[in-house]
Amino acid sequence: MMNKKITIMIVDDEPIVRESFLHWFERLGCMVETAASGFEALEKLKQSAYDLLFVDIKMPGMNGVELLERVKEEYPGTIVIIITAYGSIDTAVEAMKKGAADYLLKPFKPEQLSLVMEKVLNQKKLITEYEYMKGRLEKISRFDNIIGQSGAMQKVFDMIQEVAQSDSSVLIVGETGTGKELIAKAIHAKSRRAQHPFIAINCGAIPESLLESELFGYQKGAFTGATQPRKGFLEIVSGGTLFLDEIGETSPKMQVDLLRVLEEKKITRLGDRCQLDVDFRLVSATRRDLEEEIKRGKFREDFFYRIHVITMQVPALRNRKDDIPLLVEHFIEKYSHETTKKVDHMSRDAMALLQDYDWPGNVRELENAVERAVVLSKSRTLGKEDFSFLRPAAIRTAESQSLRDMEKAYIESVLDDCDWNITRAAKILTVNRVSLHKMIKRYGLIRPLRV
Amino acid sequence: MKPVGVVPFGEVDAIVLKTVAAHILGYLQIATEVAPPMEFPGYAYDNKRFQYDAGAILKAFESVSFHDFTKIIGILDADLFVPILTYVFGEARQGGKCALISLHRLKRNLDGSEASPPVLFERVAKVALHELGHLYNLIHCENERCLMHFSGGIRDLDKAPPYFCRYCSVYLRDALSPAKNDDDKTHDGGNG
Repeated sequence: MMNKKITIMIVDDEPIVRESFLHWFERLGCMVETAASGFEALEKLKQSAYDLLFVDIKMPGMNGVELLERVKEEYPGTIVIIITAYGSIDTAVEAMKKGAADYLLKPFKPEQLSLVMEKVLNQKKLITEYEYMKGRLEKISRFDNIIGQSGAMQKVFDMIQEVAQSDSSVLIVGETGTGKELIAKAIHAKSRRAQHPFIAINCGAIPESLLESELFGYQKGAFTGATQPRKGFLEIVSGGTLFLDEIGETSPKMQVDLLRVLEEKKITRLGDRCQLDVDFRLVSATRRDLEEEIKRGKFREDFFYRIHVITMQVPALRNRKDDIPLLVEHFIEKYSHETTKKVDHMSRDAMALLQDYDWPGNVRELENAVERAVVLSKSRTLGKEDFSFLRPAAIRTAESQSLRDMEKAYIESVLDDCDWNITRAAKILTVNRVSLHKMIKRYGLIRPLRV
Repeated sequence: MKPVGVVPFGEVDAIVLKTVAAHILGYLQIATEVAPPMEFPGYAYDNKRFQYDAGAILKAFESVSFHDFTKIIGILDADLFVPILTYVFGEARQGGKCALISLHRLKRNLDGSEASPPVLFERVAKVALHELGHLYNLIHCENERCLMHFSGGIRDLDKAPPYFCRYCSVYLRDALSPAKNDDDKTHDGGNG
């Protein structure tokens, strides 16, 4: 039996046409309602939802095209089929341009009506599937990508929901590896801008001169090598969300430029005089204490107030250790699936070890550690020995050592582990390569000579 | 249970009437009788469309009392239409008592040639069983291998099997169960 129950409304001023449709659709097992005018149809649409409307073009009061426009504006999900007579084909074409799914020329062959219904049912099926998948994706981003059942993370989840509804600038503050970009993505995914682009830029990883051209775009001939005009991210992101990671690393000049964009909502491409309107929501992230940076004169106060209308604090992993078992379980599942290794357990002492560790690289470091353990493990259970690369010195905080000494020692040990491969070490330390080079220079670290 | 009636409007070949009755009895095990003919519905002729208005005939048909039959199928040789469609093979109200079947288009093949008697008989029987299905509240079925699947034209009708799918058979059996047909006694003639 036909089980795709769809709700239909027939809008026609001729009772005999309404009755004719009514009988036809009853035989199809559809829920059918009729309306004698566009006004009556709009009243009925306020009361109940309809999947499909058959609308006669010629009606007194409000004609079919006017009704179509109102329906598409107020109930865009409702499919409208226009019914027309021989003399009004042009109007039918106009209706198609305004969003009608199809039109039927009165009287029509039974098979034409049948084909239209088939098309509509397929369309409805696609919409239903899309809605289902969208719901699933939302669930995944909420419960899969950002994992945590601790009170601290629940607060973050609640705040994402609230923040997503507004259009204010958001500043996400948290240590490296805490998932600031995931939170920015979640805010975007739940906002009204979700259908538009999400563009993430790591301000610390791009040299200032390049950052300017990447953000603002340029005209042909703006500088040597600008052989073609190019759109900047501020243009490309139109309607969406721009995520500026490591905003604390931007130069004072860039802060001035960005401040002007945020205030005027206009940009000028490099080498151009014309101003272009831009529309985006700014989400920034930093691991620095920006207020401290303002005091040090490294960050502009006016820019700071622009970007932190709403501030979200992301807790460090060491402050939500209750979440470690859940995260470990997730990463084991992820990497055993990716590597097709049958690892599905973790010993108690291994878990205790992980919960004892302070995780300076936060969730990203934990993920890397689990990935490495899964790849190298020879059994289905990860034991303490699989995490021997986590240095005992780093597991227990030595009271005698300063934070600076500990950071230096840790960086050195990671570099040694990676045979001073900067890219690999930077990945484990969850910093970019430029920052790692700066750290090496700052701490005066020297690569040991090979014998 | 009262029998199903088959009623000709005007002149209809007796073999056609007997074929319909035999198919209803054979496929649905419902006793079927051919009733005396009714007058040809000349009143339903539409001068603009040169066709007969199925809705008007059905309305008149339903106003007649048929106490002796549980359902009635009227057969006529006239081109039927409903306002929104160019033609219909048959017409019945969902869950009603009376159905109409037109022989006019069933007699012609797609290429315009005249259908042979066996082909015509098979087509009429299929339309009769389909319309009877509607009278027993069956709706159009998605399964193309089911008699309740919608046939948009002669080609579809010729492809349709002369039987109901498993699900429609179950629904039909439920509708024909003695408990459901007890109300025949009280509602008899309500539609007719």
